[in-house]
Amino acid sequence: MKRIMVVDDAAFMRMSLKMMLEKNGYQVVGEAENGKVAVQKAKKLNPDIITMDITMPEMDGITALKTLKEVGCKSKIIIISALGQESHVREAMILGANNFIVKPYKEPHVMEILSKL
Amino acid sequence: MSGNTERDPMLEMYIFESNQLLEQLEQVILSSEKSIVSEESINEIFRIMHTIKGNSAMMLFNNIATLAHALEDLFDFLRQGEFKDVDSEKLIDRVFSVVDFIKGELFKIEDEKEADADPEVLMQHIKEYLLDLKENNTEGETNHEKKQSNYPEKQQYYISSSKSSGNKIEKHIQDICINYKAVIYFEEACQMENMRAYTVVRSINEIAMNVQFIPADILENDKSSEVIKKEGFTLLFKTDVSEEALDKIFQNTVFLKEYELMRLPNECDIYTYKPKLEILLEDSSLELQEVNTKCNDFNSSASSKMTKQSSINVKVNKLDMLMDLVGELVISEAMVTQNPELQGLNLDNFNKAARQLHKITNDLQDVVMSIRMVPLSLTFQKMNRLVRDMSKKINKEVELKIIGEETEVDKNIIENISDPLMHLIRNAMDHGIESSEKRVQNHKPKKGKIILQAKNSGGDVLIIVKDDGQGLSKEKIINKAFEKGLIDKEPKEMTDKEIYSLIFLPGFSTNEEITEYSGRGVGMDVVTKNIERIKGKISVDSIAGQGTTITIKIPLTLAIIEGMIISVGGSTYTIPIVSIRESFRPKEEEIIVDLQGNEMILIRGQSYPIVRIHERYHVNTKIKKISEGILIMVECDEGSICIFADTLLGEQQVVVKPLPKYVNASKSLSGCTLLGDGSISLILDVAGLIYEYKQKGRDDE
Repeated sequence: MKRIMVVDDAAFMRMSLKMMLEKNGYQVVGEAENGKVAVQKAKKLNPDIITMDITMPEMDGITALKTLKEVGCKSKIIIISALGQESHVREAMILGANNFIVKPYKEPHVMEILSKL
Repeated sequence: MSGNTERDPMLEMYIFESNQLLEQLEQVILSSEKSIVSEESINEIFRIMHTIKGNSAMMLFNNIATLAHALEDLFDFLRQGEFKDVDSEKLIDRVFSVVDFIKGELFKIEDEKEADADPEVLMQHIKEYLLDLKENNTEGETNHEKKQSNYPEKQQYYISSSKSSGNKIEKHIQDICINYKAVIYFEEACQMENMRAYTVVRSINEIAMNVQFIPADILENDKSSEVIKKEGFTLLFKTDVSEEALDKIFQNTVFLKEYELMRLPNECDIYTYKPKLEILLEDSSLELQEVNTKCNDFNSSASSKMTKQSSINVKVNKLDMLMDLVGELVISEAMVTQNPELQGLNLDNFNKAARQLHKITNDLQDVVMSIRMVPLSLTFQKMNRLVRDMSKKINKEVELKIIGEETEVDKNIIENISDPLMHLIRNAMDHGIESSEKRVQNHKPKKGKIILQAKNSGGDVLIIVKDDGQGLSKEKIINKAFEKGLIDKEPKEMTDKEIYSLIFLPGFSTNEEITEYSGRGVGMDVVTKNIERIKGKISVDSIAGQGTTITIKIPLTLAIIEGMIISVGGSTYTIPIVSIRESFRPKEEEIIVDLQGNEMILIRGQSYPIVRIHERYHVNTKIKKISEGILIMVECDEGSICIFADTLLGEQQVVVKPLPKYVNASKSLSGCTLLGDGSISLILDVAGLIYEYKQKGRDDE
């Protein structure tokens, strides 16, 4: 079973993703409400996949992605972006994000992206 | 515990978080209102709106999502430039109207109604504001542009060309490689096709050489996604990987609709094939795409200042449950340690252990209580907004001074205090504070002042709303009360306080005119009811021409109190320790009896009335002689009396339970409690007893 960490500052989003992932047979091993926490937890949990929101307090998703890549984190990283954040998505993809999801997302799309990692 | 109807947990979370975010937003604005909107708060508001937008779009509340998006755009613009002349007043109005809109919609959603309000007008306002901002701040605009044009120099990324380039076996591979052309089409729901295409480029890069693609500017130009939508995404590459393997890679593309893969003539090298392609490819050399990306450190250091304490959200009903359990624990502890079966036994070790148990239950109770304690600051801050909005609408200059907002009260109280406070402040602004002209005439400062204060006083919290307005007019109140048939006494016999208290009666409103904010006639008695629900008391004081002070007194904790258990006949009663001043065994000769037969006792030169519990509650007891029983002096704001009981049984923590409905609610009982031996004890309401006594005294006259 794939182990996933969900990073988003909105508790609602974390919950919605978590429910969707667990329904589809993924294991959500951790949650983080900002990039800083995400970086700390990623080290400890070493998840297979990290879903990463972009706009967050303390440390945004892009910086977190950069940091994770710098410390050699092996987790696959999926950026969760809102519409209109194209430039951030681009930056994230260049920095090595594995894929991205656009909010508001639909369940089959998320599942497709995850299955094709 | 309140009956909780089960709702979709997602919806519940959505409502909960949205409300929390809005509250946070109001907090940010109110704390920054006086100064110009700071960078920090702009970032925070942007983020909050961004989150609300995202959450709402997920829940398909599109009107909320679009409105939040509009505001997000506005703040996104604001945080990118440095604007000098931001009309923060107007900006704050915009934000507040959005907050109100969303709150209204959330309310509907909570009520299981359709969230269907049209945000068009508000959207228009925001768009106009943004337009104004863009026009009036040409300086800001250039600044903005400068930032944008800055970024190509900042950092550069390269897509490494094929992995094997520079490899020593490259030459060999070259020979067995086949040239391919692939065209990929994406599904319609795809979004950001250029970035999806980029993922394909990345995976092809792993296994191929000389990768080129059309459109070539997928990384620099978001418009390229339009091209991809129409014409597909074309890839040219050279690889030795089998077609099945290629198929796997392409099939693994997210949102792939279909793709075409064709071999190019083998001898035809991509270099030579290039000219045959459209002009698009012309200047793209083998170095491939050079990508410039803005390395945007939008997470400025400013936001790191706003570190939040780590905390979790707990449902209030869980806390209620915990509180109930602690209550039960306190009772059980008493049941064990004061078990009648233990009487007369020599139990040194048991007593030691019991003391330890008592200490721990005590600590536990303190902790549980403190969990429920919340500072009043949020509630008080809300009043700031109210005063601000209202002073604009009714055109009175009013300043709100907040004192002691850090005072903590039970969460339950917070929930019930907000509405009454709002009402009181509205009243003060509407009826209390005079118009500016009138104030100047009366030699008062032009600006009215309302003080909202909270402080601890013994076991109570006092919340005081004080204005420096015209004060209450006794005459008007009396006339009005007569008109409505609310008094049946001679006004001359009434004290000032009693007259003022008339305004709390149902159906009373002194202002003839009804305004938008107050004076609908249902006001004050609703306030009283709300306050009574949390066992609070409300009182008014007023000086004509100088202002009105309304004091709300709320018991600090609702559930567990220190009580003195007394016995009268076969029953036990509990008196809250906080109201006891002393207890003593009186002598027969100290008692004075007045003409009506009321007993009094003279202590240190002052006489105190005596209330015999056995008479008051018609309990049979053998102890009727004053020298055989005990007197307990209790006090409240209204005065002091001495309660006569058979004997004191001891001090104990008791859990206050409401009186069952079938017991005729009496003014002088505040509840009941379960004692250690399983018997029930009634809790005396000291203030009620004193009030009762005074009433009786007046009736006798």
